[in-house]
Amino acid sequence: MSSRARLQKDKVTGKPILLYPEGILILNPTAHAIATHCTGEATFEEIVTKLAAQYGASTEDLRTDVSTCLDRFRALNLLEVLT
Amino acid sequence: MLAEVTYRCPLHCPYCSNPTQFSCTTTELTRDEWKRVLDEAAELGALHVGFSGGEPLQRPDLADLVAASRAAGLYSNLITSAIGLSRTRAEELKKAGLDSVQISFQSDEEPLADTIAGTKSHASKLEAARLVHELDFPLTINIVLHRGNIAHVAQIVALAETLGAERLELANTQFYGWAFQNRAALLPTREQMEAATEIALAAKNRLLGKMEVLFVAPDYYGTRPKPCMNGWGNRHLTVNPVGDVLPCPTAGGIKSLRFDNIREKPLQWIWTESESFNRFRGTEWLPEPCHSCEFREIDFGGCRCQAELLTGNAATTDPACSLSPYREQLTRFVESIQGATEKSFEANTSSVAYRENPV
Repeated sequence: MSSRARLQKDKVTGKPILLYPEGILILNPTAHAIATHCTGEATFEEIVTKLAAQYGASTEDLRTDVSTCLDRFRALNLLEVLT
Repeated sequence: MLAEVTYRCPLHCPYCSNPTQFSCTTTELTRDEWKRVLDEAAELGALHVGFSGGEPLQRPDLADLVAASRAAGLYSNLITSAIGLSRTRAEELKKAGLDSVQISFQSDEEPLADTIAGTKSHASKLEAARLVHELDFPLTINIVLHRGNIAHVAQIVALAETLGAERLELANTQFYGWAFQNRAALLPTREQMEAATEIALAAKNRLLGKMEVLFVAPDYYGTRPKPCMNGWGNRHLTVNPVGDVLPCPTAGGIKSLRFDNIREKPLQWIWTESESFNRFRGTEWLPEPCHSCEFREIDFGGCRCQAELLTGNAATTDPACSLSPYREQLTRFVESIQGATEKSFEANTSSVAYRENPV
């Protein structure tokens, strides 16, 4: 996750949120799980594999979901992709 | 939450929306009082705090307030002229946990910028913006547009790119406070506004994914009013330098309302129970033509402060709406300035009142 984004729990609702300049993203459980795996070390495939193990789902099913979610983060400039 | 920690400011911009008359009969909130307000705001559910003013850097205890926000879980933004943002100060704020910085510019050109600000300031802003970028703060550049600088939009976009800004706010003057007093000299002509809009939209598309470009059109030229604060007492509160809690930064100008103070009441009570926060909350209170209007949940009848300024009654439809019975009067004003030639701001300074500090 970009250093401009901060992942924390909303005090009132208890929901995970991403805070960034002039904005807030309220995360659903899947997006939250994806965000916590964006540590700067895991590759896209590793994130998918970890989530598949965590949720007992197939990597095929997850790949699109993860990709969509990461695109959303990127569009808001909340993700730095390291190569 | 907007924390207006002081009304003192080293700049004198004639477009300032601060109150034109503000006597500090009571003293500014202390550090401990601010810390309490920040905690109370976070408990209430606030997620962002903007430190503003005046110039927030005028408060020597600003880093302590930033640290308190961080501890409370608030995402903090410093809204500054950058005057006083030395390396020591910037590093101190970084260490305290400041999340992002917004620097105001008056123009891309030093002489014009300094004339608008009423003081020499442009060069130190440039230096501070580079420092902010170097310290890895997300940087927003904000420029208030008016007749004297709106022709520079393209150059301003270029400046923001050079400075590594991630957001650029091209915000047309909102006519409150000093700006309202100076509106005849500040409102751009229709032709200027249309040219600037086109340039801003092109820049927005070109810079997609690199820099967010936000263009705020002047509502005097619009047909629907702005959904001010996304609804009164809905998601925003301002605490002014002496602790009055306001539903928006300029609400203090509404004479019929009395605002509660955090020295006397808990923030939670003010937000939920106070008369000032409930007076225009929701849509039930709306007058006609708003009450039965299909847009009532979209714009909430527009801006209360603008209704007060233009009609003398904060409970009327915002005259920026084409359906307002007062729209005609606003249109006459807008038409009255169309003849204004693009005289330089420098040549016009005798016709504007520069912002003064509160006494």
